[in-house]
Amino acid sequence: MLDATVLQRFAIAMAATALALLIGLVVVAASGYDPVQFLRQLIEGSFGDGNATARTLKFTTLFVLTGVSVAIAFRAGVFNIGVQGQFVVGGFATVLSILWLAPFVPAGPIGGVALMLVGTLAAVVAGGAYAAIPGVLKAYGGANEIITTIMLNFIAVGVVGWLVEGPLRGEGNRAPNTERLPESVSLPQIVYDNPDFSVIGLGVALAVVAVVAVVLTRTGFGYDMVTSGHQESAATYSGVDAKRTIVATMTFSGMIAGVAGAVFAIMIQGYYSDPSGIGTYGFDAIAVSLLAANNPLGVIPAGLLFGGLESAGSYIGISSDVPVQLIDGISGLVVLFVAVPELFRMAAQRTSLGGDSR
Amino acid sequence: MNVRESAARNRVRIGSAIALIVLAVVVTIWADLPLADLFTVGFVSRSLQAATPIALAAIGGLYAEKSGVFNIGLEGFMIFGAVNTAAIMWLLSGGSPTQGDLWLAMLASVLLTLLYTVLFAVLLIRYKADQIVAGLAVWFIGLGFGPFMAVRLWGSRNSPGLEGIDTVTIPVLSEIPVLGSILFDTSPLVWLTGILAVAAWIVLYRTRYGYWLQAAGENPEALDTAGINVTRVRYAAVIFSGAMAGLGGAVLLAHAGSFTGTGDTMVNGRGWIGIVAYLFGNYNPLGAAAAALLFGGLDMLQIQFQTVGIELPNRLVNLFPYLAVIIVLTIWGSTRVPSAVGEPYESEE
Repeated sequence: MLDATVLQRFAIAMAATALALLIGLVVVAASGYDPVQFLRQLIEGSFGDGNATARTLKFTTLFVLTGVSVAIAFRAGVFNIGVQGQFVVGGFATVLSILWLAPFVPAGPIGGVALMLVGTLAAVVAGGAYAAIPGVLKAYGGANEIITTIMLNFIAVGVVGWLVEGPLRGEGNRAPNTERLPESVSLPQIVYDNPDFSVIGLGVALAVVAVVAVVLTRTGFGYDMVTSGHQESAATYSGVDAKRTIVATMTFSGMIAGVAGAVFAIMIQGYYSDPSGIGTYGFDAIAVSLLAANNPLGVIPAGLLFGGLESAGSYIGISSDVPVQLIDGISGLVVLFVAVPELFRMAAQRTSLGGDSR
Repeated sequence: MNVRESAARNRVRIGSAIALIVLAVVVTIWADLPLADLFTVGFVSRSLQAATPIALAAIGGLYAEKSGVFNIGLEGFMIFGAVNTAAIMWLLSGGSPTQGDLWLAMLASVLLTLLYTVLFAVLLIRYKADQIVAGLAVWFIGLGFGPFMAVRLWGSRNSPGLEGIDTVTIPVLSEIPVLGSILFDTSPLVWLTGILAVAAWIVLYRTRYGYWLQAAGENPEALDTAGINVTRVRYAAVIFSGAMAGLGGAVLLAHAGSFTGTGDTMVNGRGWIGIVAYLFGNYNPLGAAAAALLFGGLDMLQIQFQTVGIELPNRLVNLFPYLAVIIVLTIWGSTRVPSAVGEPYESEE
């Protein structure tokens, strides 16, 4: 897939999405629901009105951040399937650090901003450290990072779930949640009047994308990462320490997952709950990144698409009786088709739509 | 890996194994653990049952990998196997399934998973899909499809209580102390798994087909030169691996008696642990089954801790198998992977 042009990649992404949606519609029809209505609800639920758009952008913010996190690792030839765990650990670190520091900080808006910055920093450190573990295990122990990161996802969810159920449950809470973050810790509502979404959160995500794009294309570190992903032997000959690059890549990727966790904790939740019940953003991020051909900038439209799907999913879950899990299945199909560019190339050749560049 | 590195790694392995044993002994003496109460006949029996789904998936996965294709979708195929067994059993019986319905449902579910795997194998082999990404996709599709089916059929992500497999008690033999109740008063699926593991070992190491399979992963050119169709061998291995993972899911369901679709579904990482089990078992079906037993035992420790009265939160004890996977992978690291794994093979004809 490395030799495909940008246009080809775009075409493959579109075709994969369209095919996945088509299969989704067939399943809807086969299960006895009305596919036309499903399609209409899909559009209404994602961009139908201001409320739907804000909800879409809320999910887009998370998908862009987690998607970039995945893309960094994939770019460097490392599979970070552990973004979900790093996201959970990061967000939890945000809530803990803010709750611990809040009594020492004045309650005004300046204190709030300071707390949010510290909380985000805690998430970056925690997410990076959690991702460094599989990096070290791969570089120095030869442990397959796909499996260790998946195991670390289970462990993060289990440990944080246990902490919010017991030792760190907010006083007097009936639900397994931590205490609420103080009032001053929240992002202002601009443009959209939605309590779970702030344009500032989206701005943070876009800024992170810009930083990552610059690091990957304009710095020595980024160059080392990408070359060791594409041509390991060449990178080694030119003096890149492959092991250190693996650890650095994973850490960098986990730091971004941590930012996603911080945005989730501050902008959306305002406390931390059992992570087995929050969305699987870190997994969907894999689809986002693949759809974007692991290009940090491509993650923005891909994140928008998945944000729209997720948003429509929650709308459909309320307004119709089609099970929302169907949306998860559709994003899985997108991943499957993106993995098979050959399929679309052959289809394009058969139908003489091009694709003769092979 | 050169000789010196591998010798160093062996020292690390032996050293860490000794360290673990010493640690276990120290903890046992220090905490005054009632070992006899911990390792009971019931515990071994439950561990065997818990190990069956992992072992089945692991044997399938190692066949695929031996033939040169990394089937990382085991977890997804297990979810399909479990949910389809539950669904078929439900539809077949109209709500009150019998043992016959359960067996029939398991069979039908394995056949269905086999069909899915045919599609998967075509994408991997014919269309040269990225094996890692496509395997992950199978997992994601399973995570969506399993609960979707459950909600569609039962209006909830979990099924109602269906039917679990009855234990089979063999007269006379089950009277043997200890071994009798472990081996001859247990789920027939434990026996099935044992037989399949031995059969898989014999086929892989004692038949011509087994040698073709290994050659397809180690040296496909040589196999091709010998006039054997590499692609066909790989198709067979991948399809077998999916069917075995589907069987693993079906067995998991048969032991549990109902489908759970919340969280990561009832499969809950067992397919991934299966991959580690065959790495740990060094691609040997019997080794993989033994490793699965280790993970099954860790999975069942929680009940033992409760009966003995050791106070540890469930959620943390549940994490033992995952921790064990990380430790095993780190100490054992990369076992020698068949050299042509992950590369599509094209005949020069």
